[in-house]
Amino acid sequence: MEILRYAVYRFGTMLLTLLVVSVMVFAIINLPPGDYLSNQIAELRASGQSAGVAKAEFLRSEYSLDRPLYQQYLIWVGFMPGPHGFSGLIQGNYGWSFEFDQPVADIVGDTLWLTVLVNLAAVLFVYLVALPLGVIAAARSRTWVDYTSAFVGYLGLATPNFLLALILFYYGHKYFDLPIGGLMDPIYEGEPMSWDKVKSILIHLIVPTFVIGTSGAAAMMQRLRANLLDELGKPYVETAVAKGMAPARMLTKYPLRMAFNPFVADIGNLLPSMVSGSVLVSVVLGLQTIGPTLLTALKTQDLFLSAFVLMFVALLTLIGTMISDVLLVLLDPRIRYEGRET
Amino acid sequence: MFKTPKFIFALSITALFTPLAAFASPPVQESDFWRAEVEAGNLPPVADRIPDVPLTVDLTARGRTPGVQGGTLNTMITRSKDIRQMVVYGYARLVGYDADYELRPDLLMSFENQDNRRFTLNLRPGHRWSNGAPFTSDDFKYWWDDVANNELLNPTGPPDFLRVEGELPTVSFPDPQTVIYEWSKPNPNFLQSLAQARPPFIFRPAEFLKKYHIAYADPDDLAFEVNDARVKSWAALHNKRDNMYKFDNHELPTLQPWINSTSGKKIRHLFVRNPYYHRIDENGVQLPYIDVIEMEIVSGGLVAAKSNAGEADLQARGLGFRDIAILRKGEADGGNYETYLWGTGTASQIAIFPNLNVNDDVWRGVLRDVRVRRALSLAINRDSINKALYFKLAKPGAMTVLEPSPFFDPELREAWASWDPDMANELLDAAGLDQKDGYGIRKLPDGRPMELVIETAGERQEVENAMQIITDDWREIGVKLVMRPLDRDILRNRVFSGTSMASVWYGWDNGLPRPYTSPAYLAPTDQVFLAWPKWGQFHQTSGEAGEAPDMPEAQRLMELVKNWEAAASDTERTAAWTEMLKIHADQVYGIGILAGAPQPVVVNKSLRNVPVKGIWAWDPGAHFGIHRPDEFFFEGGDG
Repeated sequence: MEILRYAVYRFGTMLLTLLVVSVMVFAIINLPPGDYLSNQIAELRASGQSAGVAKAEFLRSEYSLDRPLYQQYLIWVGFMPGPHGFSGLIQGNYGWSFEFDQPVADIVGDTLWLTVLVNLAAVLFVYLVALPLGVIAAARSRTWVDYTSAFVGYLGLATPNFLLALILFYYGHKYFDLPIGGLMDPIYEGEPMSWDKVKSILIHLIVPTFVIGTSGAAAMMQRLRANLLDELGKPYVETAVAKGMAPARMLTKYPLRMAFNPFVADIGNLLPSMVSGSVLVSVVLGLQTIGPTLLTALKTQDLFLSAFVLMFVALLTLIGTMISDVLLVLLDPRIRYEGRET
Repeated sequence: MFKTPKFIFALSITALFTPLAAFASPPVQESDFWRAEVEAGNLPPVADRIPDVPLTVDLTARGRTPGVQGGTLNTMITRSKDIRQMVVYGYARLVGYDADYELRPDLLMSFENQDNRRFTLNLRPGHRWSNGAPFTSDDFKYWWDDVANNELLNPTGPPDFLRVEGELPTVSFPDPQTVIYEWSKPNPNFLQSLAQARPPFIFRPAEFLKKYHIAYADPDDLAFEVNDARVKSWAALHNKRDNMYKFDNHELPTLQPWINSTSGKKIRHLFVRNPYYHRIDENGVQLPYIDVIEMEIVSGGLVAAKSNAGEADLQARGLGFRDIAILRKGEADGGNYETYLWGTGTASQIAIFPNLNVNDDVWRGVLRDVRVRRALSLAINRDSINKALYFKLAKPGAMTVLEPSPFFDPELREAWASWDPDMANELLDAAGLDQKDGYGIRKLPDGRPMELVIETAGERQEVENAMQIITDDWREIGVKLVMRPLDRDILRNRVFSGTSMASVWYGWDNGLPRPYTSPAYLAPTDQVFLAWPKWGQFHQTSGEAGEAPDMPEAQRLMELVKNWEAAASDTERTAAWTEMLKIHADQVYGIGILAGAPQPVVVNKSLRNVPVKGIWAWDPGAHFGIHRPDEFFFEGGDG
């Protein structure tokens, strides 16, 4: 039950953080001078198209852009009634995209779960690669295994993602017939889920996962190796070895558990960097995630669309942090939330 | 080379006779693509779908091969807005250019031109929109009476190309197949305008759009539709539905060879053959040959990689000079495509346009000083850019017309375009910009450092690379260049509103003018020439917006356009052209860097009728348009 209470408590702080994030997102988006509609109006005025100006003015009042900033914010979140009553994020109305002339919900639609999917795959990749490699590198430190994995890891860290992507696309297509760009064969777009569609998505995921995950995996692996090396020098390890414990069992039973903390806690660090990193990678790789949409929205100052996407990315990050916190408590009895109060 | 109205008249006579040939041709064959629909009774048979007098193209006579129907052509675009390229590539126009840049009737059965004053447009009897509704003079009447001259839909009235010194034409519709446009003074540019890559559609699918027009629709239904679409008025709704060029409304009937069959924001867009298309080949096969065009929206950086992997059957958009190496490599590795190198029609591959209408008073003063513009041009080491970015395959020089044009003059290309930093420094000193700050950057008259922000569309790597080199070149003359990559539309909006100081774009789209080409794009008549957006707006809105040109050279350019319009002979037209080109070379309105870089075109090995040597130009040209993609076909009919 303790853990449940803790989870609820963490959920509460998450909501609060989200609220703060929403204020900041809205404020930052409004920092540059002008907005999509005023730019539009300026252009239409300049070319003398008063019909368009009238429409833009109408949209301004329809979406309360003519009100003070704090009111715009409250209406957007749904704390304050807009021209059509309470209709904000809380009520499930994500706003209107001026650039695409469609409701935000229609535009992001499918891309939301694809974003989650890509990031989930990348996180899984990071753990699946970093765990065995980190352990082997520590157990066989200063041997060719260690050096090779470190070399490959640093290469992954140091190579710019977009370059890695182009190289992988080229050779992946040449030797393994992997597809270039996209997250599924275009013929499956908008089709209901089927085995073929899943297969297509999985094949398309290979390169993006690798590109987004490599640098995270390299860093994670080095951290695990360093932590494990610290533990391996401790007397209890020596004792265990002296008593004739099998090395593999000894390693997994004691030092690995001790070295595991940062590994789990890192989800909190990993997710934000990966989610924001994947935005750019998605643009380069042409993935149908939320990344390209965010870029267009920011470039055209499409207020509601960019605000919504940023909020979504923030939400992903916060959920990741929360999962890592809860896991940490489960994993390590020494971490206790009551400790805070006493 | 034709130019005189007489020639057009002669042309229309021959056009009148072509239909006779059509009756001699074999019967038209049903397409496999629509056969099931025809048999199910949803579509009339092909003989009833094509116009009574279809346009019969004689491919053999033009050195092409008559083909077979079928296949899907894959191509890529980089933004969802670019599905409008289908209108450009489709290139079904009332009149269109052929490969020799001569005007021929296309949707029209024929036309008559009397002294550039009275144009009679004859429609094809039995011609139908893609939804089967008849295409008649009613569609022209609807556009003229209820769209162009409707205050709510078009507050500024009919478009500019229909005004001759402010005078609007008298338009009449004597019978369902005839439309007459008449002016009291000549409008020599009328037919050329109809043949543009982005044509001014002077007709609308009346039957379809009347549902959204207040004068015809049931008020209650219309009110419901307006509310449903979240727009304010019926006019806004009408404008939203009426996107002949944007091509994004799959319900809107069209006359293009392929019709949009996908709605909404998708990665993949499909365009299927128009069952009512008006062109057939000499064997009675209805065009287009290719059944389906599949456009995929991909990230700009992946177009070359995907073409290399053989994922495009026909691709030029999104490919640039720097991609030639990777494309050739793909061919050598056994790719299923070939890379053709086409010429480009733009006057400059890269040109910098100082904004003479920038809002900042000080900068406006500086940029309007011709000595400053000349100095900026002289300081650029064009040869090193050519060497570094184009393997010396382009032609360095100022912005002027290209060699194939009769107006080409090597002197104009070299004007203020040799690399001479010393002279540039002298010019800037003479212009009063002789104070420098501690970093060696010149000071503007009000003491700010001379930091020229150049905005780009952020689409072409070579532009950014060239700007890097120019940044170093300009540092030598004490000018700091700050490059700012933006989005294409934002760039234009910023220039149009006078926010941006200078921008980079291609040179004039048409670098191959002939005497019959209107020189209007050399004069301040359009805001898209990024050096004088506001003068252009002034002309486009008949003085309602923008500013009147207030520099003598620009005013002279306007006079010369008038001279060209009023000219009765080619000698006069050539005289106007030559003087205008001289003014441009002398005034350096656009700082051209180099011209003539080849455009790679990726063509599937089994795709036929694509010219090996072509010109990739926007207007006139419509990119693939004048090469008639509806005549391209896959060997064996599948691809």
